[in-house]
Amino acid sequence: MTTEARHPHLLKLVDPPIIVGHRCISCERIAFPPDPYGCEKCGSPSDNFENWDLEARGSVRAVATVHRHHRPAPITPFTVAVIELVGGPVVKAIVEGDDVVVGSSVEGFLAPEDKDDAGKVIVDLRFRITQ
Amino acid sequence: MTAPSFLSTRPVFIVGIGLHRYQRRSDQTYVSLGLTAVREALTDAGVNWTDVDAAYTGTALLGMGASRIMLSRLGATGIPMTQVENASASGSSSVAQACLEVASGRSDVVVALGVDKPRGGLGAAPGEAGIPNLEAGSIVPFTHFALLASEYMNLHAVTDEQVAKVAVKNHRNGSQNPFAQRQKVRTLDEVLAEPISGSLTRLQCCPVGEGAAAVIIASEDGIDRLGIDRSRAMQVVASATKTEALYAEGVGIDAALTAETGTAAFEEAGLEPSDLDVLEVHDAFAIEELLYAEALGLCKPGEAATRVESGDFDIGGSCAFSPSGGLLAMGHPIGPTGVGQIAEVVRQLRGEAGPRQQPNARVGMAHMVGIGAVCVVHILRKP
Ligand SMILES: [Zn+2]
Repeated sequence: MTTEARHPHLLKLVDPPIIVGHRCISCERIAFPPDPYGCEKCGSPSDNFENWDLEARGSVRAVATVHRHHRPAPITPFTVAVIELVGGPVVKAIVEGDDVVVGSSVEGFLAPEDKDDAGKVIVDLRFRITQ
Repeated sequence: MTAPSFLSTRPVFIVGIGLHRYQRRSDQTYVSLGLTAVREALTDAGVNWTDVDAAYTGTALLGMGASRIMLSRLGATGIPMTQVENASASGSSSVAQACLEVASGRSDVVVALGVDKPRGGLGAAPGEAGIPNLEAGSIVPFTHFALLASEYMNLHAVTDEQVAKVAVKNHRNGSQNPFAQRQKVRTLDEVLAEPISGSLTRLQCCPVGEGAAAVIIASEDGIDRLGIDRSRAMQVVASATKTEALYAEGVGIDAALTAETGTAAFEEAGLEPSDLDVLEVHDAFAIEELLYAEALGLCKPGEAATRVESGDFDIGGSCAFSPSGGLLAMGHPIGPTGVGQIAEVVRQLRGEAGPRQQPNARVGMAHMVGIGAVCVVHILRKP
């Protein structure tokens, strides 16, 4: 059985998972997501970027449970949060558990989302209260 | 770099306004919607189509080439026509371009129009930019604003009920506006029902329908030459457009961008936030009125909810917020919205707003935000 990330360029499938951002060599800005074009701070083209590993840990700045959604997935209700990573950048992601509130410390984990006909499991990053 | 205001070099006035009611998607063509608004604006100004030197059409969803097939039905005069797309601020940007054209001296009389019909999706380009993100698919606009609401309410200890009171006020204003898509007074309980995302409920989210709005913009030369009624001409004293800059991580871009654009507009006009009598704000979601009231300097951070509760932002308060009903009640048909805001501000400054008239209104602002993110702010003054 193989496992693949829904967003392969954004994640390293290790335990705990790593979020892949970028660092601009010219101005040292660290940002997420990786960007194929250029730096919003100094204008350097992206060949001046290096990948930058970010720990999937942080604190919750905002949280909302979605009751109605325009798309078939995710299935409602689900909860999303704005998370300030310990490494600086702010990400938005799905969180699991009713106990996540503003200020919670959260950690990332890989949740299976789908399985294709060949048995390949698609995983995506979710967050939960730090265990 | 601050250039002298082009609007003070050659003054620009709104001399006519016209609307087609905002409504749910129907079989009516965009041509019919747009012509209704333009004909009404021409009649209101007392000018003929043959007096118009140029036209700008703000639309985000119609596709290319919308203007001529519509406006030529007023007479194919061969004037320059340009379609303007700036997401939700498309109509605001058509007004900005028309003001620039009149101020430049190239034209004396220009029409700025907004018209749209909803489609299945918004077709927004950022999703096609090839920049993948973790949240792709799970965060649609109302959830983006639900998250901003969560952060704001937590920071300032504001309750669901307090945010919902913005919608109660704007639905009440919309009930007095014959051009509004939603014209019903709603109770707090009604507004709090039907959750959509986070604390946002259905009646705290704007309806996206169809409609049209048009304004006629003229120079003093145009006003004199055509014998336009000066007492009903309202001066545009600021026209500011900005896009999102790079803010500190986690700073709410919508409020930061609004603060910068608002500051630029007040500087251009030589006015202060306290000078505003009327403010049509981008309240696509109820929380936005609170965020932007503070970002535009109408009150201190964290104070907006209590100002709404005190009635200060009601018609008759110190500054009437969205007397038209705003995007929440008047509606948000995208292209028309920003032009419709200008029409409402003009109606208020003329003293012609009937049951929703803000007493003694002399200065008004129209504020729009669009995906991207862009912000467009105009300030109008009764001469
Ligand atoms: Zn850089």
